[in-house]
Amino acid sequence: MAIAVPREAGPRIERLERIWRERPGVMGWLTTTDHKRIAILYLFTSLAFFAAGGVEALLIRTQLIRPDNGLLTPSGFDQAMTMHGVTMIFLFVIPMSIGAFGNYLVPLMIGARDMAFPRLNAASYWIFLASGLFIYGGVAAGHAPTAGWFDYVPLASKQFSPDSGIDFYALGLIFNGISSTAAAINFIVTIFKLRAPGMSLNRMPLFCYAFLAVSFALVFALPALTCALLMLEADRLLGFQFFEVARGGDTILWQNLFWIFGHPEVYVIILPAFGIATSIIPTFVRRRMVAFPLVALAEILVAFIGFGVWAHHMFAVGLSQVTTIYFAAASLIIVIPSGIQLFAWITTIVTGTPRFKTPLLWIVGFIVLFIIGGLSGITFAAIPFDQQLTDTYYVVAHFHYVIFGAAVFPILGGLFYWFPKVTGRMYHERWGQASFWVTFAGMNLTFFPMHIVGLLGMPRRQYTYPPDMGWTGYNVIESIGAYVLAAGLLMVAVNLVVSCFRGARVGNDPWEGDTLEWSTSSPPPAYNYAVIPRVTSPYAMWDREDREADVENLAAGEKVLEQGHETPAVTAVDAEWDEILEMPSSSPWPPVLALAISGVFAMVILKQWIAAGVFLVAAFVVLGAWHGKEPQEA
Amino acid sequence: MARIRRPGLLVPAAALALSGCGSPQDTLDPHSPQSGDIAALWWWMLAVAGAVFLGALAMLGLAWLRRSRRGLPFFGESERATTGLVVAFGMVIPATVLVALFGVADLYLIKRTSAPAAGSSAMTVDVVGHQWFWEVRYPGTRAVTANEIHIPARTPVRVVATTADVIHSFWVPELNRKVDTIPGQRNSVLLYADEPGTYRGQCAEFCGLQHAHMGLAVVAQPRARFRAWLERQARPAAPPSAARARRGRRVFMANACSDCHTIRGTPAQGKVGPDLTHVAGRSTLAALTIPNAPRELAAWIRDPQAVKPGNRMPGLRLSPRQVGELVAYLEHLR
Amino acid sequence: MSDVTRSMEAGAAGVAARVERRRRSMPSGWWGMALLIATEFTLFASLIASYFYLRFQASTWPPAGIEPPSITLPAVFTGILVASCAPVYGAVRMARAGRRPAAWGLLAVALLVQGAYLGLQLWLFVDDLNTFSPADTAYGSIYFALLGIHHVHVAVGLLLDLWLLGVLAFALTNYRLIALRVIAMYWYFVASVAVLVLLTQLYPSL
Repeated sequence: MAIAVPREAGPRIERLERIWRERPGVMGWLTTTDHKRIAILYLFTSLAFFAAGGVEALLIRTQLIRPDNGLLTPSGFDQAMTMHGVTMIFLFVIPMSIGAFGNYLVPLMIGARDMAFPRLNAASYWIFLASGLFIYGGVAAGHAPTAGWFDYVPLASKQFSPDSGIDFYALGLIFNGISSTAAAINFIVTIFKLRAPGMSLNRMPLFCYAFLAVSFALVFALPALTCALLMLEADRLLGFQFFEVARGGDTILWQNLFWIFGHPEVYVIILPAFGIATSIIPTFVRRRMVAFPLVALAEILVAFIGFGVWAHHMFAVGLSQVTTIYFAAASLIIVIPSGIQLFAWITTIVTGTPRFKTPLLWIVGFIVLFIIGGLSGITFAAIPFDQQLTDTYYVVAHFHYVIFGAAVFPILGGLFYWFPKVTGRMYHERWGQASFWVTFAGMNLTFFPMHIVGLLGMPRRQYTYPPDMGWTGYNVIESIGAYVLAAGLLMVAVNLVVSCFRGARVGNDPWEGDTLEWSTSSPPPAYNYAVIPRVTSPYAMWDREDREADVENLAAGEKVLEQGHETPAVTAVDAEWDEILEMPSSSPWPPVLALAISGVFAMVILKQWIAAGVFLVAAFVVLGAWHGKEPQEA
Repeated sequence: MARIRRPGLLVPAAALALSGCGSPQDTLDPHSPQSGDIAALWWWMLAVAGAVFLGALAMLGLAWLRRSRRGLPFFGESERATTGLVVAFGMVIPATVLVALFGVADLYLIKRTSAPAAGSSAMTVDVVGHQWFWEVRYPGTRAVTANEIHIPARTPVRVVATTADVIHSFWVPELNRKVDTIPGQRNSVLLYADEPGTYRGQCAEFCGLQHAHMGLAVVAQPRARFRAWLERQARPAAPPSAARARRGRRVFMANACSDCHTIRGTPAQGKVGPDLTHVAGRSTLAALTIPNAPRELAAWIRDPQAVKPGNRMPGLRLSPRQVGELVAYLEHLR
Repeated sequence: MSDVTRSMEAGAAGVAARVERRRRSMPSGWWGMALLIATEFTLFASLIASYFYLRFQASTWPPAGIEPPSITLPAVFTGILVASCAPVYGAVRMARAGRRPAAWGLLAVALLVQGAYLGLQLWLFVDDLNTFSPADTAYGSIYFALLGIHHVHVAVGLLLDLWLLGVLAFALTNYRLIALRVIAMYWYFVASVAVLVLLTQLYPSL
């Protein structure tokens, strides 16, 4: 149900339009601080990396379609499998969930006009882009990392990997981490400070709870990775001895630090998807989420407990029995909040009246795949079983079910769900449903046999395999499945691209959605809302009185905030209106900062320390200029 | 030792098809009490997981069938009922199942598959992982070999696994779980073969270019046969009598071969590559990559990089005659 | 609604101070800095945890040939940094009262003390480097990494001070008052971490 614009509001809305108008052309996109534009930039960039990661996957699967295949050399395969992991995790799924979906939707869902730190938001994007180009620049120069995405030492040390591919990996991920840290901080502050007055925490949509949890997880997990990467580069470039056993260093130190980051990271990957699912389900089953407080709590708990389970990636390493038992217990505990959410989703679908349109299909697919992935994950908490099956294709099956099935499927569902909001047009429904079925089939064809071939003793990360192992048939199916999967994804892409130009036009709320973004136009204006919405429940769009109050406020000129680039700031818990903030409009400094930081990393990898220092100083100068321009009234 | 029974009726057809499917590294074709326990654990977990999955599918099916009616069957639209369902099926039942799993797997079974304490087994074998082969030593003897580990059947054998370079993982699925080889650490695993036979294993931690070709074989033999084998392995290489083999020995010592390989009882004391003292007695070469037969051996010597690209052995400039003589010599080293 | 503060209109010290007093909850900038501190603190926690992880793997610590660090100078210097929090705190109080020149002066004093601290610490750092190397042992590696990263944080703080002194010379706006508050918070964090780093560094001698 959309809000109607009263005639008296005309001049005020004109003023809003004028104040919030973007700079035209390329410069407008380069200097934008609008969260929606930044989200679109993230969307296309992460999709490009998705394609790159997909090509790497198809190379792997084509190489493995038959035993003793010669498509890829051992080195080529090692590069492909390493870059596939790095690209998909750091350059696709996180930027897509957080940078694209989070950026576009969180301010809209909380009734705000932008993120808390719009210029920092832009900088997050440009730094992400730069870090991806940095890593792929290395690949293009013939220096791809080859030690896998978790890059264990001593294989990753200078002695055993003298090529600078590892340096591109390590420096590139530190670089990328700056972007993610900045984004996480931005989300937390936005969610705490910029909600619409009246949206106390218990009236916030579940999507935002997921992002709050994700952001806190990133804040506390990334530094462990940064620490490990700095140590690795210190060893490699400066001759330090963190990981050298003969000099008092320790091999397992790397694994501990990496997985202290790495395990929360997988919850970072999956929580936004949970948020997308909890947005799509109520809309399409026309019912509020069952056990809303439990689900919100479960989302936060998953992120929190996720910090206590990291050594379950290390059960074969030779840890003490007490240690392994503790980590297995913690890993079992974390099943409970996931189970609560799963059950709440399923129960909501059963008790509602579902319309099985494309977005809901993707979510049902996600539920099925997440259950399979979750069950295989639980088997790993049985320590002796883990010690048999770790490092085999069984693990590869498990994490693809949870990453592809439980993170990418909701992303695809979300692309269809919010497509009308972002573009103002509707996608082709039948084609969308067909693309779901093809992708679902391809996904299962590719990854289900991996459980079996892992149980049959096939280790992961091998560039080929002998013909007499009994693995060949399964590998053929998996490789065919990969092409089916690619076809399904292509169908999604074609549908959405064509519908951008030929789709039927839609109004504000084609789905009768439950959250605030459906109250504004499709696509939303630069200022999101002509009037700051009144909120009294988490299902803002289903509260008729509040939406009618908005119309009255707009007519009376209340809460329109058209005197500048304005948005309200509230108290953190109860959302009482505290002050009116002035937001920056556009700024050249974020991309310039990304350039300066790129210079630092480029000089470091070239071992030009003085030049790196110069770029570092330049970065600080840019920051000084940035903060010298305080946001002013229009 | 009792063979482990699988829960008959609950096993899906696919699972039945798996066992004895022909893979020599089949975790579900156990040949020891330890791998048998793990396989049995798997079947039970699969059964419970299957039940959970089918239950969830049933609920989704119910959602489809009742898509125009609100509420649950029986309970209708009661918010209490739906929340209660979430608590029961999302918390209480999973917690019970998980506690049971934890008890069985992580408190009980773990004791049966845990690393053997020193002195608890009849004998010890030291295995050192290299990029990309396995060095095998028998403490208390002079026996040194590579990639093929002989053990007496029906005897607890403690394997102590270490590494000479990067992290590898010692894994023989049909006998026991894997154990990583970590620089500076000595990790151990128990091998107890139920019956004589050859059990294939493989490095299971990515260790560089030829990780895919780092296989190993555990040959379990009757005790007497094993003792005879070990005794022969401990002996230095006998000098060759045939002329061609003698010429081959000269080729070996005169070229770079002796810089990397050891042949006990000769001047060749290289430590980079595998010990070749009794190489002819092994069934395969290059860590189970190629069969140990004259033609394959000659091809390997001529161009190791074609067989196992990236491995540490260079191709040497040898004439076909020299290669033939080398093969004759190496074939003599039983 | 019409009485809700438009904070950015505060372009002078007195107005900024009034806006600050009317606020009921921490401003966005405070939250942002608090979270940045959380990440940096976690980085130090990872380094300190690594220090003790390596220590408990080792039989002798420091390894043979390296003397345990002397206590006096590092402790005194750290005391100097902690003491510099006083003028920082004073600067914030002056600014919240609308007294820009006093705030500027106290901040300048703080900068001098912090700069002196960094200079003295770098002198000790170079001296240590001449005694033992980070490229010889894991002890050396973690010792110099931990201290080095701390010094980098101090250097960044000095740059923040310089920028703040630059802009405060002209006016105390709402934006700059919040900046002063959060940079002060940054210094309290750096000083606290300095104590933790000191205790870790001196651990073999304690």
